[in-house]
Amino acid sequence: MANTFTETLTAGLWRRIPPFRLVLGLCPALAVTMSAENGLGMGLATAFVLILSNGAISSLRNVIPSKVRIASYIVIIATLVSIVEILMKAYFFPLSEQLGIYIPLIVVNCIVLGRAEGFASKNPPFISMVDGLSVGIGYAISLTLIGSLRETFGAGTWFGIPVFSESFEPMTFLVSAPGAFITIGALLALQNIFSRWRGEKFIQG
Amino acid sequence: MSEIVRMVVVLSLIAGFSAAALTAANIQLGPRVDAQTDFYVRGPALERLFKKPAKEVLENKIVITSDGLPVPIFYILKDKEVSDLAVEAIGKGGYGGDLKIMVGIDLVNERQTGMEVVSHSETPGLGARIVEPGFRRQWQGLPIDTPMALTSDGGEIDAISGASTTSRAAVNGTNDVLVFVREHKDEILKKISER
Repeated sequence: MANTFTETLTAGLWRRIPPFRLVLGLCPALAVTMSAENGLGMGLATAFVLILSNGAISSLRNVIPSKVRIASYIVIIATLVSIVEILMKAYFFPLSEQLGIYIPLIVVNCIVLGRAEGFASKNPPFISMVDGLSVGIGYAISLTLIGSLRETFGAGTWFGIPVFSESFEPMTFLVSAPGAFITIGALLALQNIFSRWRGEKFIQG
Repeated sequence: MSEIVRMVVVLSLIAGFSAAALTAANIQLGPRVDAQTDFYVRGPALERLFKKPAKEVLENKIVITSDGLPVPIFYILKDKEVSDLAVEAIGKGGYGGDLKIMVGIDLVNERQTGMEVVSHSETPGLGARIVEPGFRRQWQGLPIDTPMALTSDGGEIDAISGASTTSRAAVNGTNDVLVFVREHKDEILKKISER
């Protein structure tokens, strides 16, 4: 038990860290990571939904008939996402304006549905919530990292604080859409080189 | 058969619980969301119209229903009398949809104090220039008892070049506000004094 617990807790941070290992949830990873703050906000919102949806789905796993399980998951996830949206509007209004449509779109984020189908529907509630926490935190870290890189080199700031002297000329293309692809591609390549050097197997999911 | 019944029951129950949870969240946090929307969306416009920090003004809000639509009105008091109003209106027929504008009205001198754009979806560089002060400055000091119009329609407002549709939407919205205030002035003052 203790073994599976630590294994589940750390899996989301390296072995199946989204969106690099678990190549899911790329759409928000590409779209909202213009700045570190946006990345962190999006990551935490997704983590919140993941933890609760994993918990709810795993508690109901013996009740939900398998034929309507996807529909049930979507209803549960959509409810949680709507609650997150209301919470963000009530407490972090400027951030929710910036993230815009990508908050409601967490509903169709494949990470959430993927963890529900792949983990929560087969495991008890507590360990499922741990899995949600680990994958969610992993996603938040990844998005913050991508956002930090793009913001630092594309705009010369980090969480809105200037990091370079005034002579620094920002590479503006990094904060536009192509920059997202290039940043994520470079990070994926680095991760694969590192994994190969360590002799790890290339596991997806 | 029983399997189908079970599916229906489980799905309905989940949907019911979800609806209940959402309703609860909405009731609990709805007022806070409204306050935040007022602060971030309407706040800047109100600050410019009333020349006071938004925090002081946002409390002074009443809503009057006109033609089935809620019209938010903000006010400030001077010597316990209502001196200025800011009435929100929809400027129908903008190029990218309707404009949401806020018109300031000085009840003491019976003049307009200005027009602010709360939200719009006009073309950048053309209609979106409506947020620039140059165009909106023309509203200051206009009378509130006569309708206004663009110069091309024989009025006094110079349209933004290349964006007469947007300009006309703003003018029409303002005229709606003038009519609204004239017709509902007693109701507005009564509602404010009741607070």
